[in-house]
Amino acid sequence: MFGLIGHSTSFKDARKKAMDLGYDHIAEGDLDVWCSAPPQLVEHVKVVSAIGKTIEGAYIDSCFVPEMLGRFKTARRKVLNAMELAQKKGISITALGGFTSIIFENFNLLQNKQVRNTTLDWERFTTGNTHTAWVICRQLELNAPKLGIDLKKARVAVVGATGDIGSAVCRWLSQRTGVSELLLVARQQKPLLELQQTLQGGKILGLEEALPQSDAVVWVASLPKNLEIDKSILRNPCLMIDGGYPKNLDEKFAGSGIHVLKGGIVEFFADIGWSMMEIAEMEIPQRQMFACFAEAMLLEFENCHTNFSWGRNNITLEKMDFIGEASIRHGFSVLGIQPDLKSSFA
Amino acid sequence: MPTLETTQVSGAIDTLPDFTSEQYKDAYSRINAIVIEGEKEAYNNYLSLGQLIPDKADELKKLAIMEMKHMKGFTACGKNLGVTADMVFAKEFFSPLHGNFQKAFKEEKLTTCFLIQAILIEAFAISAYHVYIRVADPFARKITENVVKDEYLHLNYGQEWLKANLASCKDELMKANKENLPLIKSMLDQVADDAGSLEMDKEELMEEFMIAYQDSLLEIGLDSREIARMALAALV
Repeated sequence: MFGLIGHSTSFKDARKKAMDLGYDHIAEGDLDVWCSAPPQLVEHVKVVSAIGKTIEGAYIDSCFVPEMLGRFKTARRKVLNAMELAQKKGISITALGGFTSIIFENFNLLQNKQVRNTTLDWERFTTGNTHTAWVICRQLELNAPKLGIDLKKARVAVVGATGDIGSAVCRWLSQRTGVSELLLVARQQKPLLELQQTLQGGKILGLEEALPQSDAVVWVASLPKNLEIDKSILRNPCLMIDGGYPKNLDEKFAGSGIHVLKGGIVEFFADIGWSMMEIAEMEIPQRQMFACFAEAMLLEFENCHTNFSWGRNNITLEKMDFIGEASIRHGFSVLGIQPDLKSSFA
Repeated sequence: MPTLETTQVSGAIDTLPDFTSEQYKDAYSRINAIVIEGEKEAYNNYLSLGQLIPDKADELKKLAIMEMKHMKGFTACGKNLGVTADMVFAKEFFSPLHGNFQKAFKEEKLTTCFLIQAILIEAFAISAYHVYIRVADPFARKITENVVKDEYLHLNYGQEWLKANLASCKDELMKANKENLPLIKSMLDQVADDAGSLEMDKEELMEEFMIAYQDSLLEIGLDSREIARMALAALV
Protein backbone atom coordinates (compact mmCIF):
# COMPACT_ATOMS: atom_id res chain seq x y z
CA MET A 1 0.00 0.00 0.00
CA PHE A 2 1.20 3.53 -0.77
CA GLY A 3 0.58 6.54 1.43
CA LEU A 4 0.40 10.27 0.98
CA ILE A 5 0.92 12.70 3.83
CA GLY A 6 -0.56 16.09 3.11
CA HIS A 7 -2.17 19.14 4.65
CA SER A 8 -4.54 21.95 3.80
CA THR A 9 -3.27 25.16 2.26
CA SER A 10 -4.70 27.31 5.04
CA PHE A 11 -6.39 27.04 8.42
CA LYS A 12 -9.63 28.27 6.89
CA ASP A 13 -9.61 25.57 4.19
CA ALA A 14 -8.66 22.94 6.73
CA ARG A 15 -11.68 23.73 8.90
CA LYS A 16 -14.00 23.64 5.93
CA LYS A 17 -12.63 20.29 4.79
CA ALA A 18 -12.88 18.86 8.30
CA MET A 19 -16.53 19.95 8.44
CA ASP A 20 -17.23 18.32 5.06
CA LEU A 21 -15.68 15.08 6.28
CA GLY A 22 -17.66 15.06 9.52
CA TYR A 23 -14.72 15.81 11.81
CA ASP A 24 -16.74 18.40 13.70
CA HIS A 25 -14.59 18.38 16.82
CA ILE A 26 -11.63 19.64 14.83
CA ALA A 27 -13.62 21.80 12.43
CA GLU A 28 -15.10 23.80 15.27
CA GLY A 29 -11.84 24.21 17.10
CA ASP A 30 -9.48 27.16 17.03
CA LEU A 31 -5.83 26.96 15.99
CA ASP A 32 -4.87 25.62 19.43
CA VAL A 33 -7.26 22.71 18.97
CA TRP A 34 -5.66 22.00 15.59
CA CYS A 35 -2.22 22.13 17.17
CA SER A 36 -3.38 19.31 19.48
CA ALA A 37 -5.25 17.33 16.84
CA PRO A 38 -3.88 13.91 15.88
CA PRO A 39 -3.22 13.07 12.23
CA GLN A 40 -6.12 11.40 10.46
CA LEU A 41 -6.17 8.70 7.84
CA VAL A 42 -9.04 10.21 5.90
CA GLU A 43 -9.25 8.23 2.72
CA HIS A 44 -8.47 4.89 1.12
CA VAL A 45 -8.15 4.71 -2.63
CA LYS A 46 -7.64 2.08 -5.31
CA VAL A 47 -5.73 3.04 -8.46
CA VAL A 48 -5.36 1.08 -11.71
CA SER A 49 -2.42 2.09 -13.87
CA ALA A 50 -2.37 2.47 -17.66
CA ILE A 51 -0.89 -1.03 -17.94
CA GLY A 52 -3.55 -2.52 -15.69
CA LYS A 53 -1.65 -2.79 -12.41
CA THR A 54 -3.84 -2.21 -9.34
CA ILE A 55 -2.57 -0.68 -6.13
CA GLU A 56 -4.17 0.59 -2.95
CA GLY A 57 -3.29 3.64 -0.98
CA ALA A 58 -4.28 5.95 1.82
CA TYR A 59 -4.27 9.69 2.34
CA ILE A 60 -3.18 10.93 5.75
CA ASP A 61 -3.92 14.51 6.72
CA SER A 62 -1.24 15.61 9.13
CA CYS A 63 -3.56 18.31 10.58
CA PHE A 64 -0.68 20.68 9.94
CA VAL A 65 -1.60 24.05 8.45
CA PRO A 66 0.88 26.65 7.16
CA GLU A 67 -0.14 28.97 10.01
CA MET A 68 1.81 26.59 12.30
CA LEU A 69 5.14 27.16 10.54
CA GLY A 70 6.33 29.54 13.25
CA ARG A 71 5.74 26.92 15.94
CA PHE A 72 8.71 24.64 15.56
CA LYS A 73 7.65 22.00 18.07
CA THR A 74 4.11 21.84 16.72
CA ALA A 75 5.25 21.51 13.11
CA ARG A 76 7.72 18.81 14.08
CA ARG A 77 5.08 16.84 15.97
CA LYS A 78 2.61 17.07 13.11
CA VAL A 79 5.07 15.56 10.63
CA LEU A 80 6.39 12.87 12.95
CA ASN A 81 2.92 11.85 14.14
CA ALA A 82 1.67 11.55 10.57
CA MET A 83 4.69 9.42 9.68
CA GLU A 84 4.10 7.24 12.72
CA LEU A 85 0.47 6.77 11.71
CA ALA A 86 1.53 5.76 8.18
CA GLN A 87 3.94 3.20 9.57
CA LYS A 88 1.45 1.88 12.13
CA LYS A 89 -1.05 1.34 9.32
CA GLY A 90 1.52 -0.84 7.57
CA ILE A 91 1.92 1.46 4.56
CA SER A 92 4.97 0.38 2.55
CA ILE A 93 5.87 3.65 0.91
CA THR A 94 4.63 7.10 1.86
CA ALA A 95 5.36 10.45 0.22
CA LEU A 96 5.82 13.56 2.32
CA GLY A 97 3.77 16.24 0.58
CA GLY A 98 3.58 20.02 0.77
CA PHE A 99 5.43 21.51 3.71
CA THR A 100 5.94 18.15 5.43
CA SER A 101 9.11 17.22 3.51
CA ILE A 102 10.40 20.78 3.86
CA ILE A 103 9.83 20.63 7.62
CA PHE A 104 11.47 17.20 7.75
CA GLU A 105 14.55 18.50 5.96
CA ASN A 106 14.86 21.99 7.45
CA PHE A 107 14.08 21.02 11.04
CA ASN A 108 16.38 17.99 10.78
CA LEU A 109 13.81 15.42 11.88
CA LEU A 110 16.20 12.56 11.09
CA GLN A 111 17.25 12.76 14.72
CA ASN A 112 13.68 12.00 15.87
CA LYS A 113 13.48 8.36 14.90
CA GLN A 114 11.56 7.27 17.99
CA VAL A 115 7.90 8.30 18.15
CA ARG A 116 6.24 6.78 21.20
CA ASN A 117 6.66 3.01 20.82
CA THR A 118 7.35 3.23 17.09
CA THR A 119 10.84 3.40 15.65
CA LEU A 120 10.37 5.15 12.34
CA ASP A 121 11.75 3.16 9.44
CA TRP A 122 13.00 5.73 6.94
CA GLU A 123 12.89 3.14 4.17
CA ARG A 124 9.11 3.52 4.18
CA PHE A 125 9.17 7.21 3.24
CA THR A 126 10.14 9.28 0.25
CA THR A 127 10.32 13.01 -0.33
CA GLY A 128 9.26 12.37 -3.92
CA ASN A 129 11.90 14.84 -5.08
CA THR A 130 13.29 12.60 -7.86
CA HIS A 131 9.98 12.50 -9.67
CA THR A 132 9.40 16.20 -9.00
CA ALA A 133 12.79 17.06 -10.52
CA TRP A 134 12.14 14.86 -13.58
CA VAL A 135 8.66 16.35 -14.06
CA ILE A 136 9.99 19.92 -13.87
CA CYS A 137 12.66 19.14 -16.47
CA ARG A 138 10.09 17.56 -18.79
CA GLN A 139 7.74 20.51 -18.29
CA LEU A 140 10.52 22.80 -19.44
CA GLU A 141 11.47 20.61 -22.39
CA LEU A 142 7.89 20.18 -23.60
CA ASN A 143 6.57 23.70 -23.04
CA ALA A 144 9.46 25.97 -24.01
CA PRO A 145 9.11 25.09 -27.74
CA LYS A 146 5.39 25.86 -27.54
CA LEU A 147 6.34 29.43 -26.63
CA GLY A 148 8.92 29.59 -29.40
CA ILE A 149 11.87 29.11 -27.05
CA ASP A 150 14.59 26.87 -28.48
CA LEU A 151 16.30 25.43 -25.42
CA LYS A 152 19.50 24.70 -27.36
CA LYS A 153 19.86 28.44 -27.78
CA ALA A 154 18.26 29.50 -24.50
CA ARG A 155 19.53 30.73 -21.19
CA VAL A 156 17.81 28.93 -18.35
CA ALA A 157 18.08 30.10 -14.76
CA VAL A 158 17.56 27.69 -11.88
CA VAL A 159 16.61 29.57 -8.72
CA GLY A 160 17.42 27.40 -5.72
CA ALA A 161 20.04 25.57 -7.76
CA THR A 162 21.83 23.99 -4.82
CA GLY A 163 18.80 22.36 -3.20
CA ASP A 164 17.86 18.72 -3.62
CA ILE A 165 15.49 19.29 -6.53
CA GLY A 166 17.44 22.27 -7.92
CA SER A 167 20.74 20.45 -8.23
CA ALA A 168 19.05 17.49 -9.91
CA VAL A 169 17.36 19.83 -12.38
CA CYS A 170 20.73 21.44 -13.12
CA ARG A 171 22.37 18.09 -13.80
CA TRP A 172 19.57 17.05 -16.14
CA LEU A 173 19.46 20.35 -18.00
CA SER A 174 23.20 20.42 -18.56
CA GLN A 175 23.65 16.76 -19.46
CA ARG A 176 20.38 15.73 -21.07
CA THR A 177 18.56 18.81 -22.33
CA GLY A 178 21.69 20.63 -23.37
CA VAL A 179 20.55 24.19 -22.77
CA SER A 180 22.74 26.91 -24.22
CA GLU A 181 23.57 28.42 -20.85
CA LEU A 182 22.62 27.50 -17.35
CA LEU A 183 22.41 30.29 -14.78
CA LEU A 184 22.83 29.12 -11.21
CA VAL A 185 21.07 31.15 -8.53
CA ALA A 186 21.10 30.39 -4.82
CA ARG A 187 21.82 32.20 -1.59
CA GLN A 188 25.00 30.50 -0.47
CA GLN A 189 28.17 30.81 -2.51
CA LYS A 190 30.03 27.74 -1.32
CA PRO A 191 27.52 25.11 -2.44
CA LEU A 192 27.07 27.09 -5.67
CA LEU A 193 30.78 26.82 -6.43
CA GLU A 194 30.70 23.11 -5.65
CA LEU A 195 27.70 22.62 -7.91
CA GLN A 196 29.40 24.54 -10.72
CA GLN A 197 32.40 22.28 -10.34
CA THR A 198 30.40 19.04 -10.51
CA LEU A 199 28.43 20.35 -13.50
CA GLN A 200 31.65 21.57 -15.12
CA GLY A 201 29.71 24.56 -16.29
CA GLY A 202 26.95 26.99 -15.47
CA LYS A 203 27.24 30.61 -14.55
CA ILE A 204 26.71 31.80 -10.97
CA LEU A 205 24.59 34.92 -10.82
CA GLY A 206 22.46 36.89 -8.38
CA LEU A 207 18.70 36.70 -8.87
CA GLU A 208 18.29 40.23 -10.15
CA GLU A 209 21.07 39.79 -12.68
CA ALA A 210 19.87 36.40 -13.84
CA LEU A 211 16.18 37.14 -14.43
CA PRO A 212 16.47 39.69 -17.28
CA GLN A 213 18.84 37.35 -19.16
CA SER A 214 16.69 34.24 -18.91
CA ASP A 215 14.43 32.74 -21.53
CA ALA A 216 13.20 30.30 -18.95
CA VAL A 217 13.38 30.26 -15.17
CA VAL A 218 12.94 27.20 -12.99
CA TRP A 219 12.01 28.20 -9.43
CA VAL A 220 12.64 25.55 -6.83
CA ALA A 221 13.12 27.92 -3.92
CA SER A 222 10.40 29.80 -2.12
CA LEU A 223 9.93 33.29 -3.41
CA PRO A 224 11.89 35.91 -1.43
CA LYS A 225 9.38 37.93 0.60
CA ASN A 226 10.36 41.38 -0.55
CA LEU A 227 11.23 40.57 -4.13
CA GLU A 228 10.25 43.43 -6.43
CA ILE A 229 10.96 42.80 -10.08
CA ASP A 230 10.16 45.15 -12.92
CA LYS A 231 8.41 42.78 -15.30
CA SER A 232 9.24 44.97 -18.26
CA ILE A 233 12.92 44.06 -18.09
CA LEU A 234 12.22 40.35 -18.42
CA ARG A 235 12.43 38.55 -21.74
CA ASN A 236 9.36 38.13 -23.90
CA PRO A 237 8.49 35.31 -24.07
CA CYS A 238 9.71 33.93 -20.80
CA LEU A 239 8.68 30.59 -19.35
CA MET A 240 8.65 30.38 -15.58
CA ILE A 241 8.20 27.04 -13.92
CA ASP A 242 6.95 27.38 -10.37
CA GLY A 243 8.45 24.32 -8.72
CA GLY A 244 8.53 25.70 -5.18
CA TYR A 245 5.99 25.35 -2.44
CA PRO A 246 3.63 27.12 -2.03
CA LYS A 247 2.98 27.97 -5.65
CA ASN A 248 2.67 31.75 -5.68
CA LEU A 249 4.74 32.89 -8.66
CA ASP A 250 1.81 33.76 -10.88
CA GLU A 251 0.75 36.48 -8.43
CA LYS A 252 4.02 38.23 -9.11
CA PHE A 253 4.92 37.48 -12.68
CA ALA A 254 2.07 36.36 -14.90
CA GLY A 255 1.27 38.45 -17.96
CA SER A 256 3.03 40.44 -20.65
CA GLY A 257 4.81 37.56 -22.31
CA ILE A 258 5.68 35.81 -19.06
CA HIS A 259 4.13 32.39 -18.78
CA VAL A 260 3.97 30.83 -15.36
CA LEU A 261 3.48 27.08 -15.24
CA LYS A 262 2.78 25.21 -12.01
CA GLY A 263 5.81 23.00 -11.69
CA GLY A 264 6.07 19.48 -10.38
CA ILE A 265 2.44 18.62 -11.08
CA VAL A 266 1.31 15.56 -13.02
CA GLU A 267 -1.97 14.36 -14.42
CA PHE A 268 -3.11 10.75 -14.34
CA PHE A 269 -4.76 9.30 -17.45
CA ALA A 270 -7.96 8.35 -15.61
CA ASP A 271 -10.05 9.70 -12.75
CA ILE A 272 -9.04 8.62 -9.27
CA GLY A 273 -11.86 8.24 -6.78
CA TRP A 274 -10.41 10.43 -4.08
CA SER A 275 -11.51 13.77 -2.72
CA MET A 276 -8.38 14.92 -0.98
CA MET A 277 -6.60 16.54 -3.90
CA GLU A 278 -9.17 19.32 -3.71
CA ILE A 279 -7.40 20.62 -0.64
CA ALA A 280 -4.20 20.88 -2.67
CA GLU A 281 -6.07 23.27 -4.98
CA MET A 282 -5.57 21.20 -8.13
CA GLU A 283 -7.57 22.33 -11.14
CA ILE A 284 -8.63 18.78 -11.96
CA PRO A 285 -8.47 17.18 -8.51
CA GLN A 286 -9.59 13.75 -9.74
CA ARG A 287 -6.50 13.48 -11.94
CA GLN A 288 -3.90 16.05 -10.98
CA MET A 289 -1.49 15.79 -8.08
CA PHE A 290 1.94 16.76 -6.89
CA ALA A 291 4.67 14.72 -8.54
CA CYS A 292 5.99 13.81 -5.09
CA PHE A 293 2.69 12.05 -4.29
CA ALA A 294 2.79 10.32 -7.66
CA GLU A 295 6.27 9.05 -6.78
CA ALA A 296 4.86 7.01 -3.90
CA MET A 297 2.27 5.56 -6.30
CA LEU A 298 4.95 4.77 -8.87
CA LEU A 299 7.13 3.05 -6.30
CA GLU A 300 4.13 0.96 -5.29
CA PHE A 301 3.32 0.15 -8.94
CA GLU A 302 6.94 -0.92 -9.39
CA ASN A 303 7.11 -2.84 -6.07
CA CYS A 304 10.05 -0.64 -5.21
CA HIS A 305 9.58 -0.25 -1.47
CA THR A 306 12.47 1.96 -0.55
CA ASN A 307 13.13 5.58 0.37
CA PHE A 308 13.85 6.33 -3.27
CA SER A 309 14.26 10.07 -2.68
CA TRP A 310 15.91 10.81 0.63
CA GLY A 311 18.43 13.27 2.02
CA ARG A 312 20.09 15.94 -0.04
CA ASN A 313 21.81 15.71 -3.42
CA ASN A 314 21.28 12.00 -3.89
CA ILE A 315 19.21 12.32 -7.07
CA THR A 316 21.07 10.81 -10.00
CA LEU A 317 20.14 10.95 -13.68
CA GLU A 318 19.68 7.17 -13.59
CA LYS A 319 17.11 7.50 -10.82
CA MET A 320 15.36 10.23 -12.78
CA ASP A 321 15.31 7.95 -15.82
CA PHE A 322 13.83 5.11 -13.78
CA ILE A 323 11.05 7.17 -12.23
CA GLY A 324 10.39 9.05 -15.47
CA GLU A 325 9.94 5.85 -17.45
CA ALA A 326 7.66 4.44 -14.76
CA SER A 327 5.67 7.68 -14.77
CA ILE A 328 4.94 7.46 -18.47
CA ARG A 329 4.32 3.71 -18.43
CA HIS A 330 1.73 3.89 -15.65
CA GLY A 331 -0.20 6.75 -17.19
CA PHE A 332 1.08 10.04 -15.82
CA SER A 333 1.75 13.10 -17.97
CA VAL A 334 3.28 16.38 -16.93
CA LEU A 335 1.18 19.52 -16.59
CA GLY A 336 1.52 21.83 -19.59
CA ILE A 337 0.67 25.43 -20.39
CA GLN A 338 -2.99 26.16 -20.99
CA PRO A 339 -4.41 25.05 -24.37
CA ASP A 340 -5.47 28.60 -25.28
CA LEU A 341 -1.87 29.70 -24.91
CA LYS A 342 -0.71 26.73 -26.87
CA SER A 343 -2.91 27.71 -29.80
CA SER A 344 -1.85 31.33 -29.72
CA PHE A 345 1.76 30.29 -30.08
CA ALA A 346 1.17 27.49 -32.54
CA MET B 1 0.13 31.21 2.46
CA PRO B 2 3.13 31.67 4.77
CA THR B 3 6.40 30.18 3.60
CA LEU B 4 9.45 29.05 5.51
CA GLU B 5 11.23 32.15 4.18
CA THR B 6 8.71 34.49 5.72
CA THR B 7 8.40 32.69 9.02
CA GLN B 8 10.46 33.25 12.09
CA VAL B 9 10.94 29.88 13.70
CA SER B 10 10.89 29.97 17.46
CA GLY B 11 11.57 27.46 20.20
CA ALA B 12 13.88 25.44 18.00
CA ILE B 13 15.81 23.87 20.86
CA ASP B 14 14.59 21.20 23.25
CA THR B 15 15.52 22.21 26.76
CA LEU B 16 15.72 20.17 29.94
CA PRO B 17 14.49 21.89 33.09
CA ASP B 18 16.64 22.55 36.16
CA PHE B 19 15.56 19.60 38.33
CA THR B 20 16.97 21.22 41.47
CA SER B 21 15.18 24.57 41.26
CA GLU B 22 12.51 25.40 43.81
CA GLN B 23 9.99 26.14 41.09
CA TYR B 24 10.57 22.70 39.55
CA LYS B 25 10.30 20.91 42.88
CA ASP B 26 7.16 22.80 43.82
CA ALA B 27 5.45 21.86 40.54
CA TYR B 28 6.80 18.32 40.83
CA SER B 29 5.18 17.88 44.23
CA ARG B 30 1.78 18.14 42.55
CA ILE B 31 2.54 16.39 39.23
CA ASN B 32 4.24 13.49 41.02
CA ALA B 33 1.28 13.22 43.40
CA ILE B 34 -1.16 13.10 40.49
CA VAL B 35 0.79 10.28 38.87
CA ILE B 36 0.94 8.32 42.14
CA GLU B 37 -2.76 8.92 42.81
CA GLY B 38 -3.58 7.94 39.20
CA GLU B 39 -1.80 4.62 39.54
CA LYS B 40 -3.47 4.03 42.92
CA GLU B 41 -6.85 4.82 41.39
CA ALA B 42 -6.10 2.33 38.60
CA TYR B 43 -5.12 -0.31 41.19
CA ASN B 44 -8.39 0.13 43.07
CA ASN B 45 -10.48 0.33 39.93
CA TYR B 46 -9.15 -2.94 38.51
CA LEU B 47 -9.78 -4.67 41.83
CA SER B 48 -13.34 -3.27 41.83
CA LEU B 49 -13.90 -4.45 38.28
CA GLY B 50 -12.81 -7.92 39.37
CA GLN B 51 -15.75 -7.93 41.75
CA LEU B 52 -18.13 -7.21 38.88
CA ILE B 53 -16.61 -9.91 36.63
CA PRO B 54 -15.66 -12.68 39.10
CA ASP B 55 -14.46 -15.11 36.43
CA LYS B 56 -11.93 -12.51 35.26
CA ALA B 57 -10.96 -11.43 38.76
CA ASP B 58 -7.51 -13.05 38.55
CA GLU B 59 -6.67 -11.35 35.30
CA LEU B 60 -7.82 -8.00 36.62
CA LYS B 61 -5.90 -8.53 39.83
CA LYS B 62 -2.72 -9.00 37.81
CA LEU B 63 -3.38 -5.66 36.14
CA ALA B 64 -4.00 -4.06 39.52
CA ILE B 65 -0.69 -5.38 40.84
CA MET B 66 1.12 -3.95 37.83
CA GLU B 67 -0.41 -0.54 38.51
CA MET B 68 0.71 -0.81 42.13
CA LYS B 69 4.26 -1.52 40.95
CA HIS B 70 4.10 1.63 38.81
CA MET B 71 2.86 3.60 41.78
CA LYS B 72 5.89 2.52 43.79
CA GLY B 73 8.21 3.45 40.94
CA PHE B 74 6.81 6.97 40.73
CA THR B 75 6.94 7.36 44.50
CA ALA B 76 10.66 6.64 44.21
CA CYS B 77 10.99 9.37 41.54
CA GLY B 78 9.72 12.00 43.98
CA LYS B 79 11.97 10.77 46.77
CA ASN B 80 14.95 10.83 44.43
CA LEU B 81 14.42 14.54 43.84
CA GLY B 82 13.76 15.22 47.52
CA VAL B 83 10.16 16.17 46.83
CA THR B 84 7.17 15.35 49.03
CA ALA B 85 4.17 14.52 46.88
CA ASP B 86 1.11 16.65 47.65
CA MET B 87 -1.36 13.80 47.98
CA VAL B 88 -4.15 16.00 49.32
CA PHE B 89 -4.06 17.99 46.11
CA ALA B 90 -3.98 14.82 44.00
CA LYS B 91 -6.96 13.27 45.75
CA GLU B 92 -8.97 16.40 45.12
CA PHE B 93 -7.73 16.46 41.52
CA PHE B 94 -9.04 12.95 40.85
CA SER B 95 -12.21 13.23 42.94
CA PRO B 96 -14.73 14.02 40.14
CA LEU B 97 -13.52 11.10 38.01
CA HIS B 98 -13.20 8.91 41.11
CA GLY B 99 -16.78 9.80 42.07
CA ASN B 100 -18.10 8.93 38.63
CA PHE B 101 -16.31 5.58 38.65
CA GLN B 102 -17.64 4.72 42.10
CA LYS B 103 -21.19 5.63 41.09
CA ALA B 104 -20.97 3.48 37.95
CA PHE B 105 -19.44 0.65 39.97
CA LYS B 106 -22.27 0.72 42.48
CA GLU B 107 -24.78 0.65 39.64
CA GLU B 108 -22.74 -2.16 38.04
CA LYS B 109 -22.32 -0.17 34.84
CA LEU B 110 -19.34 -2.01 33.43
CA THR B 111 -19.18 0.01 30.22
CA THR B 112 -18.88 3.28 32.10
CA CYS B 113 -16.31 1.80 34.45
CA PHE B 114 -14.19 0.56 31.57
CA LEU B 115 -14.50 3.84 29.67
CA ILE B 116 -13.24 5.76 32.69
CA GLN B 117 -10.41 3.39 33.60
CA ALA B 118 -9.37 1.54 30.46
CA ILE B 119 -9.85 4.37 27.96
CA LEU B 120 -9.68 7.75 29.70
CA ILE B 121 -7.33 7.18 32.65
CA GLU B 122 -5.04 4.88 30.64
CA ALA B 123 -4.84 7.38 27.74
CA PHE B 124 -4.29 10.26 30.16
CA ALA B 125 -1.46 8.38 31.85
CA ILE B 126 0.33 7.04 28.80
CA SER B 127 0.17 10.37 26.98
CA ALA B 128 1.60 12.21 29.99
CA TYR B 129 4.37 9.60 30.32
CA HIS B 130 5.35 9.98 26.67
CA VAL B 131 5.69 13.72 27.07
CA TYR B 132 7.42 13.39 30.45
CA ILE B 133 10.07 10.91 29.24
CA ARG B 134 11.60 13.58 27.00
CA VAL B 135 12.11 16.05 29.86
CA ALA B 136 12.50 13.81 32.91
CA ASP B 137 15.56 13.51 35.14
CA PRO B 138 17.63 10.39 34.31
CA PHE B 139 16.28 8.35 37.23
CA ALA B 140 12.63 9.12 36.50
CA ARG B 141 13.17 8.67 32.80
CA LYS B 142 14.27 5.07 33.28
CA ILE B 143 11.34 4.28 35.54
CA THR B 144 8.84 5.94 33.22
CA GLU B 145 10.26 4.13 30.19
CA ASN B 146 9.73 0.81 31.95
CA VAL B 147 6.18 1.78 32.90
CA VAL B 148 5.41 2.64 29.28
CA LYS B 149 6.89 -0.69 28.15
CA ASP B 150 4.61 -2.47 30.63
CA GLU B 151 1.59 -0.58 29.37
CA TYR B 152 2.24 -1.64 25.80
CA LEU B 153 2.98 -5.24 26.73
CA HIS B 154 -0.08 -5.96 28.79
CA LEU B 155 -3.36 -6.54 27.08
CA ASN B 156 -5.74 -3.72 27.87
CA TYR B 157 -8.47 -5.91 29.29
CA GLY B 158 -11.05 -3.13 29.38
CA GLN B 159 -10.47 -2.35 25.74
CA GLU B 160 -10.92 -6.02 24.87
CA TRP B 161 -14.14 -6.17 26.86
CA LEU B 162 -15.54 -3.06 25.15
CA LYS B 163 -14.57 -4.50 21.76
CA ALA B 164 -16.30 -7.78 22.47
CA ASN B 165 -19.45 -6.05 23.76
CA LEU B 166 -19.50 -3.03 21.47
CA ALA B 167 -22.88 -3.73 19.87
CA SER B 168 -24.68 -3.76 23.21
CA CYS B 169 -22.67 -1.10 25.01
CA LYS B 170 -22.29 1.68 22.42
CA ASP B 171 -25.06 3.92 23.77
CA GLU B 172 -23.77 3.76 27.31
CA LEU B 173 -20.23 4.31 26.03
CA MET B 174 -21.24 7.50 24.23
CA LYS B 175 -23.16 8.78 27.23
CA ALA B 176 -20.35 8.00 29.66
CA ASN B 177 -17.87 9.66 27.34
CA LYS B 178 -19.95 12.81 27.20
CA GLU B 179 -19.92 13.00 30.96
CA ASN B 180 -16.31 12.10 31.56
CA LEU B 181 -14.18 13.38 28.67
CA PRO B 182 -14.77 17.02 29.75
CA LEU B 183 -13.35 16.05 33.16
CA ILE B 184 -10.11 14.96 31.48
CA LYS B 185 -9.97 18.24 29.59
CA SER B 186 -10.41 20.24 32.79
CA MET B 187 -7.81 18.07 34.56
CA LEU B 188 -5.35 18.92 31.80
CA ASP B 189 -6.21 22.60 32.11
CA GLN B 190 -5.69 22.51 35.88
CA VAL B 191 -2.30 20.94 35.58
CA ALA B 192 -1.03 22.99 32.62
CA ASP B 193 1.02 25.52 34.57
CA ASP B 194 2.75 22.91 36.71
CA ALA B 195 3.38 20.75 33.67
CA GLY B 196 4.86 23.84 31.98
CA SER B 197 7.36 24.14 34.85
CA LEU B 198 8.45 20.61 33.95
CA GLU B 199 8.81 21.69 30.27
CA MET B 200 5.73 19.66 29.31
CA ASP B 201 3.62 21.68 26.85
CA LYS B 202 -0.12 21.63 27.36
CA GLU B 203 -0.59 21.48 23.60
CA GLU B 204 1.58 18.40 23.35
CA LEU B 205 -0.11 16.74 26.34
CA MET B 206 -3.49 17.27 24.72
CA GLU B 207 -2.29 15.94 21.38
CA GLU B 208 -0.73 12.85 22.93
CA PHE B 209 -3.94 12.26 24.86
CA MET B 210 -6.05 12.59 21.71
CA ILE B 211 -3.78 10.14 19.88
CA ALA B 212 -4.00 7.54 22.66
CA TYR B 213 -7.75 8.11 23.06
CA GLN B 214 -8.36 7.82 19.33
CA ASP B 215 -6.21 4.68 19.08
CA SER B 216 -8.16 3.01 21.90
CA LEU B 217 -11.51 3.83 20.36
CA LEU B 218 -10.38 2.62 16.94
CA GLU B 219 -9.15 -0.56 18.58
CA ILE B 220 -12.54 -1.29 20.14
CA GLY B 221 -14.13 -0.94 16.73
CA LEU B 222 -15.52 2.58 16.39
CA ASP B 223 -15.12 4.37 13.08
CA SER B 224 -13.45 7.73 12.66
CA ARG B 225 -16.69 9.72 12.46
CA GLU B 226 -18.00 8.16 15.66
CA ILE B 227 -14.69 8.98 17.30
CA ALA B 228 -14.90 12.54 16.00
CA ARG B 229 -18.33 12.89 17.57
CA MET B 230 -17.04 11.52 20.86
CA ALA B 231 -13.99 13.78 20.82
CA LEU B 232 -16.26 16.79 20.38
CA ALA B 233 -17.11 16.44 24.07
CA ALA B 234 -13.57 17.57 24.88
CA LEU B 235 -14.30 20.97 23.37
CA VAL B 236 -17.34 21.74 25.47
